[in-house]
Amino acid sequence: MMPNAVHPASAFAAVLVVATAFAGQADHAAPAPVSGGRSTLPLGPIGMRIAAASPGDTLEIDPGIYREHLRIDKPLTIVARGDVVIDGGGSGDIVEIVAPDVTLRGFVIRNTGIDLDKENAAVRVLAPRVALENNRLEDILFGIDLREAPDCRIVGNRIGGKDLDVARRGDGLRLWRSDRTLVERNTIHDGRDAILWYSSNVVVRGNHGFDCRYGLHLMFSDHITILDNEFAGNSVGIYLMYTTGVELVGNTLVGNRGPSGYGIGLKETDQFSIRDNLIAGNRSGVYIDGSPFTAAKPGEFTRNTFAYNDVGCTFLPSARGNEFTENNFVDNIDQVAVAGRGALDANRFWKGERGNFWSDYTGYDLNNDGVGDFVHESQTLFENLMDKRPALRLFLFSPAQQAVEFVGRAIPAVRPEAKFTDEVPLMRPVALPAAVVERKPAREAIALSGIALVGVGGLLIAAARTSRRTS
Amino acid sequence: MTSLPTAVTSSPNASAAVRVPPGLLRNVLTVAHRELRDAIRSRWFWLYTLSFAILGLAVSFVSAAGTGGTGLSGFGRTTAGLINLVLLVVPLMALTSGAASIASDRERGMLAYVLAQPVSRLEVVLGKYLGLAGALLACLSLGLGTCALILAWKGLRTSPASILWLTGLSLLLALAMLSLGMLISVLARRASVAVGTAIFVWLALVFLTDLALMAGALALRLRIETLFGLSLVNPLQVFKMWSLHAVDATLDVLGPAGLYAMDTFGDRVAILFAAALVAWIILPLGAAMALFARRSPV
Repeated sequence: MMPNAVHPASAFAAVLVVATAFAGQADHAAPAPVSGGRSTLPLGPIGMRIAAASPGDTLEIDPGIYREHLRIDKPLTIVARGDVVIDGGGSGDIVEIVAPDVTLRGFVIRNTGIDLDKENAAVRVLAPRVALENNRLEDILFGIDLREAPDCRIVGNRIGGKDLDVARRGDGLRLWRSDRTLVERNTIHDGRDAILWYSSNVVVRGNHGFDCRYGLHLMFSDHITILDNEFAGNSVGIYLMYTTGVELVGNTLVGNRGPSGYGIGLKETDQFSIRDNLIAGNRSGVYIDGSPFTAAKPGEFTRNTFAYNDVGCTFLPSARGNEFTENNFVDNIDQVAVAGRGALDANRFWKGERGNFWSDYTGYDLNNDGVGDFVHESQTLFENLMDKRPALRLFLFSPAQQAVEFVGRAIPAVRPEAKFTDEVPLMRPVALPAAVVERKPAREAIALSGIALVGVGGLLIAAARTSRRTS
Repeated sequence: MTSLPTAVTSSPNASAAVRVPPGLLRNVLTVAHRELRDAIRSRWFWLYTLSFAILGLAVSFVSAAGTGGTGLSGFGRTTAGLINLVLLVVPLMALTSGAASIASDRERGMLAYVLAQPVSRLEVVLGKYLGLAGALLACLSLGLGTCALILAWKGLRTSPASILWLTGLSLLLALAMLSLGMLISVLARRASVAVGTAIFVWLALVFLTDLALMAGALALRLRIETLFGLSLVNPLQVFKMWSLHAVDATLDVLGPAGLYAMDTFGDRVAILFAAALVAWIILPLGAAMALFARRSPV
């Protein structure tokens, strides 16, 4: 399957080395040791029912606020009947699951400690096949923390972090060596990252992440499916690092504008397919660094829409082997940028008869086959200067910028080399998912503001015409 | 407005110099009203209004065509194109009409006639300024309003808030440029010289200073804070940055300099912009009034 990839064993060894290296860092450390000793605390009402239950039992919990820390050490199904709040009282973890096949459904779990070293979590899972469904996690440092807990189901939870500085937040969701887990329809906000560490064959579907650092972060996690998620207003939407085999399809990545501010970032990621995503209003729609990592499979970007980003797609000079077909590049201030020197020769912007749609394409289509009759070349002088000296962005949207571009077009001597070419640019954009098209500002509001403005002008004219006594 | 007080006809013997503020206000309004009426009767007003509306529509439609009917909206080419249009047209409009005002009156002998009336020189300058400001406001709101109406009718997407912001800020820019134009007008002996100077100033503000700053950023490797500080001197840049900030709530689209501004000033950066534009309104107008009061006007 991976003809050119390194030998699995050596890859694993490399991963271990990197993991140990990372362990020294506070930020991306391996999980902190689980702080035991919870069993010495007196049991609360739910704790006593757990102690009394036999494996396989279903416990239904009555509404109320329970101030206790739980340790679930046998396979149980625990269901909230109505509004059941488990309050951690601002200290430590709240629920710890150490037995497999536990289901926890419908609880409000709130108020963990804020000790970042101990990684205080709302729910910590240390066993396989655990299901966490429709819980609401509020005011928590770490939300759901899976450690060596494969085959879990994390479905329909709402996870809201504490109001802390980003550096002091925990991860809303963390998977550590938890393969084949399903992460579906969760909402995660105000956390650090939702992160997958060394977890393979995970499906991440229909989730919504906002106001986090990384909406979704993959580290050394292979064969991941990322489907129909929305990540908006995070620092970075999705960051793929050191990952092989990613299907990233139908996601919405909007307004991710942190210091890095990528919709999708790819660092040494391999064998990925990025299709049908909407990538809009980010600082950089896609950021490609050393990806694809091997030549096993070209990096595939198909039918994505890059719109209104400061930069549609940023390439580091190391990026080679990507193929862009049938994408829409709509009004990004800088459609494609190379950070640093170099051209994009090793990447392709068309395949066969299909290129991409470029909103700045100036050619036409005489024979009406939907493909422009001229090659699309990106060579504006101002863009080129901007890539070299980012400070010049200050002059965007000014007539002086256009003067520079005019000079660039008119005088061949200063015309920059084409950054890339698309031999078969599309004349019409490729269709967008319907959900996107529905968003429009109310027509009435525009009309009203127009009427108000015309009214002001009309009043002034009327005022000028009425009184003539002065003359 | 039919009951607008007319100091000139009602109290021909009163001395303008000793008038109390209500009288001053009345005189100013009288001059302003006359100026506004003359402006609205003139061809340049309708020419500018019409061209502004048509250009605005052209910009909006071209940028909508650029998105190819993807149905997406955002801070894209529409707002950017309108900002660009305002940056080109509004300063030209305001500078030339300001420059023509006093100089052409002087050339035609109107100024001597007006000053023979019981109005002070300050009142004349202030009144002319207000009248022309009214005409510019009418021009801007008619142009952009028509543009907004046709956009709404055609179902094109633009945020109403951004159109209103753009109109308001364009008016401030127009006031600043009008103020500068009046200063030129007071200084110049002939109307043709005044208008020529105004056009040169326009060229300098629109292209030359920005190009010089760009060259400076490239050749001298100006520091970001220097670059941002220098750009605050140009009222056109201030208008542009303020528009971006108003529509987009942030300046980070302007790269390192924008980030620096947001990091250093946060949302208070709008106060900075307001202060810069208000200074550009008050200082040239004040200078024009002071010079006009001292000089022999005729």
